[in-house]
Amino acid sequence: MLLNRLKAGGPAIAKQGILVAFILFMIVFSLMSDRFLTADNIMSVFRQSAIIGVMAVGVTIVVIGGNLDLSVGSMLSFATVLVVDLHDKIGPELAIPIMVLATLCLGAINGFLIGILRLNSLIVTLGMLSAIQGLVLIYSGGQNVDIVDQRGTWFAIFGRGSVLGIAAPILIFGLMAIIFHVIMSTMPFGRKVYAVGGNPTASVFSGIPRSRVVFTTYLISALCVAVAAIILGSRVMGSQNNVGQGYELQVLAAVILGGTSLLGGAGSILKTVLGVLMLAFIQNGLILMGQPYYTQWLVTWVVIIVAVWLDVAAKRGRLFSPIA
Amino acid sequence: MTNKMRILLASCGTLALASAASADTVRIGITQNNVGIDSYQTTYERAFIAAADANPDVEVIVLDAGGDVARQISQMQDLIQQNVDAIIIWPTDGQAVVPAVRNAHRAEIPVIVTNSNIAEAGMEFIAAFSGPNNIQQGIYSAEMMCDALEGEGQIVQITGMPGYTTAIERQQGFDERLAEMCPGVTQLDIQPGDWNRERAQRTMETFLTRFDQIDGVYSGDDNMGVGALNAAIAANRAEGMVFIGATNFAVGYDAMGRGEYWGSVYQSPVDDAKAALQTALDVLAGEDVPKLNYFDTPKITQDNMEEFDRPVF
Repeated sequence: MLLNRLKAGGPAIAKQGILVAFILFMIVFSLMSDRFLTADNIMSVFRQSAIIGVMAVGVTIVVIGGNLDLSVGSMLSFATVLVVDLHDKIGPELAIPIMVLATLCLGAINGFLIGILRLNSLIVTLGMLSAIQGLVLIYSGGQNVDIVDQRGTWFAIFGRGSVLGIAAPILIFGLMAIIFHVIMSTMPFGRKVYAVGGNPTASVFSGIPRSRVVFTTYLISALCVAVAAIILGSRVMGSQNNVGQGYELQVLAAVILGGTSLLGGAGSILKTVLGVLMLAFIQNGLILMGQPYYTQWLVTWVVIIVAVWLDVAAKRGRLFSPIA
Repeated sequence: MTNKMRILLASCGTLALASAASADTVRIGITQNNVGIDSYQTTYERAFIAAADANPDVEVIVLDAGGDVARQISQMQDLIQQNVDAIIIWPTDGQAVVPAVRNAHRAEIPVIVTNSNIAEAGMEFIAAFSGPNNIQQGIYSAEMMCDALEGEGQIVQITGMPGYTTAIERQQGFDERLAEMCPGVTQLDIQPGDWNRERAQRTMETFLTRFDQIDGVYSGDDNMGVGALNAAIAANRAEGMVFIGATNFAVGYDAMGRGEYWGSVYQSPVDDAKAALQTALDVLAGEDVPKLNYFDTPKITQDNMEEFDRPVF
């Protein structure tokens, strides 16, 4: 069995269930399509996954802290509509900071309700999902927004530019992932998030400012959404009112696939990155093989469930277990 | 929205009292799908109210279901209770609203369906349908694709949200007409873009990786078409590639002006709204109205685009 070999490889490998699933998956796909493992395609998938990826970095931190954020989808719509609309009105150098501040305000509302008032995060962010969508519609009056001068604006660098042949969205995604990985794994703030998510009561008795930590995780999530909105707006050069609709579930799927516990206290940003890439490669690979869309929906979720199972099984050291 | 509704309802109420004596005035209620979710529906509502205001013999009660089937069904019941002369409905769900439409039919209130038709089972309960012919739009797009490629080439198709009537019908019209008119044009693959420009851009990027030669792209609307165009430009492969869309958007119109986009189908929400009101008035006037009333959605290409106003969405 695969698992026995995993265990024989030592505990270090046994803990990397998601990595093993990812590699297996890549091998299968590259056998089925000769275009799959080309440099062009890999770059293309990395670039496509950047928007979901940046958002997933923020949501991972929220989830490690023991909460959920379902409002990121409509927050993305809000931020993208705002930055694209303001771009033509006041120019990108003002549009970007105003959009970032406005999005942080939404994050602060989430943080206040969940961190300070201690309301249930599922209910609050589900409510915010709908409330923010309403806000977008009020702001835009239902109109799509577009950047008129698409070729002449420096705003294009975030979505369409590149440095040394690497597309800007990939660099931004990579940078965000590394920064927050370092914060989460080496800095006191990171340890506090794990503590609050793992055992809220114990963390309070240990003198950790739980409310402030949770509040900050929602600010980080909103910041990530703002960055994702810059990439999205720059890449598409326009926005629909509901552009982010459904993205919250893709983000959450990537976070779960990365092995972050929905109960809080455990998870890793780098593994979320793996989850994001795996989802993007599945969608890409199935289109490369010419599979119809319903296969994509089916396969995506089968893979998520199998990967989560492999991950859990690797941690337990056995495929089936009556106890968790 | 609620305030606007309240004012409209209140004014309609008073107007109804005031005009109770004049038998010529007709009261028409409309329950819309989801105003504000996109520019098309927003413009539609404005145009509908403007058209009703321009006609002194018409009072309208304007409601919006906010995309919620349950709310739309209760709005139908409200309108039946108010005993309006006719009801116009933009179905949130073609299947689920059928019982509500049947109730109106039983109360002898004629129902006019606008924009997207209801399910086959409900057809016997409606007075008429007024809206675009999506199959015809697909046929137009196929004809433009044939013309542009001169009957020879390899194309890909990016469809709307799977399951949406509009998406299904446009694809159906396109596929059938293309196969019949120019068998020399082959479709390499068909994948959804979910009416979302970023999603369509991603789908097109993968097509570009997968196929070395793509001569044309048909998208279920211009919003997705421009996403596909963006992807092709970024890959330096847009030169000579033919982009055909449907529901001409402002971005598609502009790209056409730059010579990057070949053609689309012009569908005006203003025409859509006016046609719905006119159909209702024709029904009330006792005219012999056909079950299916399609308003004209002509082809728009780089050659004839000056004849059309730039779309407002």
